[in-house]
Amino acid sequence: MRNVSQIIDGKRQIIKKPELLAPAGNLEKLKIAIIYGADAVFIGGKEFSLRSQASNFTLDDILEAVEFANQYHAKIHVTCNIILHQDNLAGIKEYLQALDDIGVSAIIVADPYIMILAKEMNLKLEVHVSTQLSTLNSKAIQFYQNMGMDRVVLGREVTYDNLKDILNATDMDIEYFIHGAMCIHYSGRCMLSNYLALRDANRGGCSQSCRWYYDLYQDDTLLTKEDDMPFTMSSKDMALVNHIGELIELGVDSFKIEGRMKSLHYIATVVSTYRKLIDNYCEDPDHFTMDDFYTKELEKAANRALCHGFFYDHPGVNEQLYNIRDEHPTQEFVMRVVDYDEESHIATIEQRNYFKVGDKIEIFSPNHSNLFFTVKKIYNEDKEEVDVANHPMEILYIECDQYVTKNDMGRKVIR
Amino acid sequence: MKLFISLNNKSRLYDYHDMGIDYYLIGTPYSFYTPHIFPIDEIKEMIISYPDCHFYVSLNGLYDQDKIDEIETYIDQLVDIHVTGILFQDFGVLQIVKDKGYHFDMMYAPETLNTNAQSIQTLSKYGITSAFLAHVISLEEQIQIKKEVSIPLMMFGHGVEYMAASKRKLVSNYKEASHKDFDDENLMIQDRSSKKKMHIFENDSSTLIFSEERLYTLDLFNQIKDMDYLYIETLFMDDYEAIEVASIYSDALNSFNYDRDVKALLALLYQMNKPLTRGFLFDNTVYKLEDVRKIDNEKRESNH
Repeated sequence: MRNVSQIIDGKRQIIKKPELLAPAGNLEKLKIAIIYGADAVFIGGKEFSLRSQASNFTLDDILEAVEFANQYHAKIHVTCNIILHQDNLAGIKEYLQALDDIGVSAIIVADPYIMILAKEMNLKLEVHVSTQLSTLNSKAIQFYQNMGMDRVVLGREVTYDNLKDILNATDMDIEYFIHGAMCIHYSGRCMLSNYLALRDANRGGCSQSCRWYYDLYQDDTLLTKEDDMPFTMSSKDMALVNHIGELIELGVDSFKIEGRMKSLHYIATVVSTYRKLIDNYCEDPDHFTMDDFYTKELEKAANRALCHGFFYDHPGVNEQLYNIRDEHPTQEFVMRVVDYDEESHIATIEQRNYFKVGDKIEIFSPNHSNLFFTVKKIYNEDKEEVDVANHPMEILYIECDQYVTKNDMGRKVIR
Repeated sequence: MKLFISLNNKSRLYDYHDMGIDYYLIGTPYSFYTPHIFPIDEIKEMIISYPDCHFYVSLNGLYDQDKIDEIETYIDQLVDIHVTGILFQDFGVLQIVKDKGYHFDMMYAPETLNTNAQSIQTLSKYGITSAFLAHVISLEEQIQIKKEVSIPLMMFGHGVEYMAASKRKLVSNYKEASHKDFDDENLMIQDRSSKKKMHIFENDSSTLIFSEERLYTLDLFNQIKDMDYLYIETLFMDDYEAIEVASIYSDALNSFNYDRDVKALLALLYQMNKPLTRGFLFDNTVYKLEDVRKIDNEKRESNH
């Protein structure tokens, strides 16, 4: 058993708090993830990283990311998790050296050549085994440990019971997914995208073919007629929000949130929710009571319906998405607070989506509890009163009686 | 180059052996997929009956923590019956073998991951002794890897191609959601855009998807002759097809005048009337954003 708590002044306290690891697809999202409480952020470089459609980071961006993270004592992990082909080998050594020189804390790697290369180069950065390798057991972890790896990111298929046994069997740093979209098939072992779209999933080109609709045949007989539910393999997203206490008690080293391609609002909401949940649990684990605040918060940003993934066992029919896609966030991200004048009660905001006078806004923040207000007046940059905010990224001024802080986010309540 | 075949029927071993094939992949209860599961006693019998043949067992699943003890016990039994090697993709299997000091040929066969020479060379320092190349890469890349790697390599030669595997019960779940009642035999899914059909089936631990088309390399022997093993996958083949394919490939391999004979052998292959494909041998997949967009645009334009 990993030692995660001890009695201090007569009260049990968590002494091994897991790292909260968040995704970011660009610098703005990275900064927000850290401001909202991520202990570490994983990002992709322009080379050697999956998610080719995320707006990945240049080396200059990564340097800025590291400098920003250092101010908050946060860490930057860079994904180098493509499966190399013969023509991808050039430049990898120089790239790893550059990441190390910049001060990146860890690289996330799927290809054994990169793993060992990084170790042979005596870099300061840690080497983490990517979930692309679908590691599910302690013997495989031992293999990577013997190779000198510093951490293993487990496959999303690992159940709670198996996770418990794994953690009892190894002292390796273990990263476990707690939130986000899931590969339907074993990660790294899927060729559907390659076969159906000629897009190489293991080098970042995944077309998400597993979420497409298919016709189902038995021999040559079509089973899915026109009005029938089409065959699909699509899954709801994973959210282990109701199991965070159990996972902290197991001594998981890092909680991973998936989603480098997700929006700023999504990242702020999800990171903020798990940050508060982890902190509240760790403060007094024996008297912590779960309420539905956390789940409701996550639902406000959810792209898809949420489920517990493989936490209990094989996901059943209720964990999959069929013809009901259920991709309806209950609230819409409309503003980011840039400044607040306490005397005039005017908030300077950056518009992100359409809103108008009369809309009900919920403000959430890393610094205070959620608060609500109704938009009474909006002013443009020339201080002229306007009825609607309909220009993305426009700086506007709104009356807000309640105290808000820089980088707070505003959502329009839509249902 | 030697032919390596997944054994689909014990009673056909004599025929395969008679053709000159002496490398066999044997299905076990722990195989990711296999045309047939052989009990350990049958594997033992085959090894005793064909002492000049090489029997590899497929322990090529991805194993949950609660399966690892069973796998360990099973590997112990393999030592006793003297199998030649183990085809695996979970490094947990390799670690067990290393911990116990066993000496099997450990063929790393992760379906999609053996795509460059450096990684295979790296893993050879950590215990793999042979490798099964991914068939998601081109022929040119496979040949280049062979030139740069020092351990024996197997290339996918003929048969339906692995596409994906999920721990989810994808067929059962759909059946429940759709309230449809159908047998689980001979199910196929068809992509609505490319119209490509794929086999889909569930076994005890996974749902697996395979192409309907059979990849073939019969006429490429001049290019691939330096490969150590050429693999024939008999999954989804009936006895007749498996024997015919094995025989055709064996004849091609043993031909004194391959360039002359291959046309007639190809004709025999075509006569079997099974869908054939080159897979990724001559196709390049894309992954960079600009290339992905280009493909998407081309697809959009061709739809208009």
